[in-house]
Amino acid sequence: MPSGALLFQSVLLGILLGGLYALLASGLTLYFGIMRVVMIAHSAFLILAAYLGWWLHERAGLDPLLAMLGTVPLFFGAGVLLQRVLLTRLRPATLTMMSVLLTFAIALLIEGLLGYAFTGTQRRVQLGYGSASLEVFGARVAVVKLIAFGLAVVALGTLYVLMKRTRFGWALRATIQHRDAARLLGIDTDRVAGYGFGIGLATAAIGGTALSLDTTIYPSLHWHWIGPLMAIIVVGGLGSVPGAAIAAMVLGMAQSLLQIPMGTTWAQTVFYVALFATLAIRPQGFFGGRLAQRF
Amino acid sequence: MSKSLKALAAAMILTLGACSGGGGDDTGGNTDEPIVIGVSLPLTGDFSEPGKGVQQGYEAWAKIVNDSGGLLGRQVELKILDDQSNADRVVADYEQLIGKDQVDLVFGPFSTRLVVPSARVAEEYGMLFVEPAGAAKEVFEQGFKNLFYAAPAVANDHYNHLAEYILAMPADQRPKTAAYAAMDDPFAQGTAYGLKAKLEAGGIKTVVNEVYPPNTTDFSGIAAKVADAKADVLVGGSQYQDGVNLIVALQQLGYQPKLAAFSTAPTNPEFAKAVGNKTEGILSPTGYSQDAQYPSNKEFVEKFTAQFGKAPEEDQANGYTTGQVVAAAVTAAGCAEQGDCQKKLVDWVRANTVETVVGPLSWDGTGKPKGAHMIQQWVGGDIKIVLPADVKEAEFVFPKPAW
Repeated sequence: MPSGALLFQSVLLGILLGGLYALLASGLTLYFGIMRVVMIAHSAFLILAAYLGWWLHERAGLDPLLAMLGTVPLFFGAGVLLQRVLLTRLRPATLTMMSVLLTFAIALLIEGLLGYAFTGTQRRVQLGYGSASLEVFGARVAVVKLIAFGLAVVALGTLYVLMKRTRFGWALRATIQHRDAARLLGIDTDRVAGYGFGIGLATAAIGGTALSLDTTIYPSLHWHWIGPLMAIIVVGGLGSVPGAAIAAMVLGMAQSLLQIPMGTTWAQTVFYVALFATLAIRPQGFFGGRLAQRF
Repeated sequence: MSKSLKALAAAMILTLGACSGGGGDDTGGNTDEPIVIGVSLPLTGDFSEPGKGVQQGYEAWAKIVNDSGGLLGRQVELKILDDQSNADRVVADYEQLIGKDQVDLVFGPFSTRLVVPSARVAEEYGMLFVEPAGAAKEVFEQGFKNLFYAAPAVANDHYNHLAEYILAMPADQRPKTAAYAAMDDPFAQGTAYGLKAKLEAGGIKTVVNEVYPPNTTDFSGIAAKVADAKADVLVGGSQYQDGVNLIVALQQLGYQPKLAAFSTAPTNPEFAKAVGNKTEGILSPTGYSQDAQYPSNKEFVEKFTAQFGKAPEEDQANGYTTGQVVAAAVTAAGCAEQGDCQKKLVDWVRANTVETVVGPLSWDGTGKPKGAHMIQQWVGGDIKIVLPADVKEAEFVFPKPAW
């Protein structure tokens, strides 16, 4: 039986991990909601953003948090371009299948270019506050993990307000819910979808930065992430951002606590067990609506 | 004893650059022709980085030998093929080198996965097979008669000096509990579990024993367990980045062990910066140190640096060591060609101790080296040899200062 202190520490780590997962998965579920695109390259973009943060820190001594000022707009632009130039060319009938192939190719391209530019060596941003921590009732919370969690809260909060309170958000949700009806109302769904994709990729820029603060990065790391992130958005209900956030929290916590009895290797399997269980019992996901009918 | 002295003398003569000249006249009319040494190395593919390191070691050895007059008065010539880190390819390479190209001697490739199949080929042809990098226990379980691993110790024996040191402490100072975290990798686990077996036998209780997959990037869960157990000794079966990540995660949790040892990671040039320069007292076993006071090492470091513009690391040293072992055997046996000569070489290596850049080496019946690794420790912002006592550069620091 683990001690109370270890349990409490693991719960805290689980919350922080869940927040990070929620941030990393939010973009992925958004793409599916907007245009039924399975974006395999999302985690590759996360790693790309992490590399940009690392590189700017190495070269210019810039804190990765400041680097976001550049990477977020850049990724937004890249997302709009990606959607307008590549994804709209896919035939609607086979969009979901073909988007897997297309974004798989993009993921390989990013991985290859990262390997070419920075080699396969593992990298870690070396921050002055990298090992600093705060004490919370006897447990320790690392500052970098807290920052990553803060980024997740701010990014997801902004996304929520954007979707619920702005005209653009309404247009985006209308596009998600019924593309033809949205077009009848005069919404330029192509443009809205492009911007929506850009926002998804912008969350990858923030997520990648959060990731780079406290972990090692290497070009092929995205394969390690795409599985758990896919599992999270399926469990949360494809297309639902709040659903993905709740699923991320639950699975992050489960992973953190399961590490105590099962060890690191087996604790990772919680994502796949949850994925199978969801597909077997409730394919539309546990927390979202039916295929993203609601935000 | 006299045999090993002779071997020592032979190695010294070689490496100090003296040359007997004309000593091999009795082998026939080919004295002017170079001794051709066949090698296959992973110059591309998964092991290309260490493969190239070993290649530099071999090339440095050939240059140093040739500059001082060659072996048995003949120049040495390396014939290096690229096996692309592929086990099928490495077999074909050695078949070609030995069967078709009729090389006089062979050196081994890099890493267990390639050493085992290629050693089988060498065995078939009865060739002496000294190899720089097959340290997993499988290598020594195949019943090879001609294989010798040219390094001080296999993974499980890396920490032997440290285990002895800890167990020799007075009972009231000796650590009582230990935590182990090892990557799911035969080499990394081998180092940690070698020490674990010895400490457990000595009565030091294991309180945490974690294994993590090689792609793990988040170590906070493991760190939480280690910190909660408050183990006196922390042993990391690490490669590089996993060791760094684990240390940072432990620092975040405020855990302070009395003794912390990690394989490989602390000897990396970027290690200090990566853990925020909080390195004081961290231990690591090492098979090679540029500063080690072994007779031939100084010359090796100087000439290698002149040739390649950088100091040699472990891979380069192991390549060079392979050359030294074969050279010592060739000099003692007085021959270097296929056929009966190879048997003489094998018998000589089996029976003798060879002085090398990684210290004196001798082998058991399976070709496993009988030594242990030196133990290095971060002392005053630099990593220094602290064990064994006869080559130490600094005093062992215990307990470890806070990180």
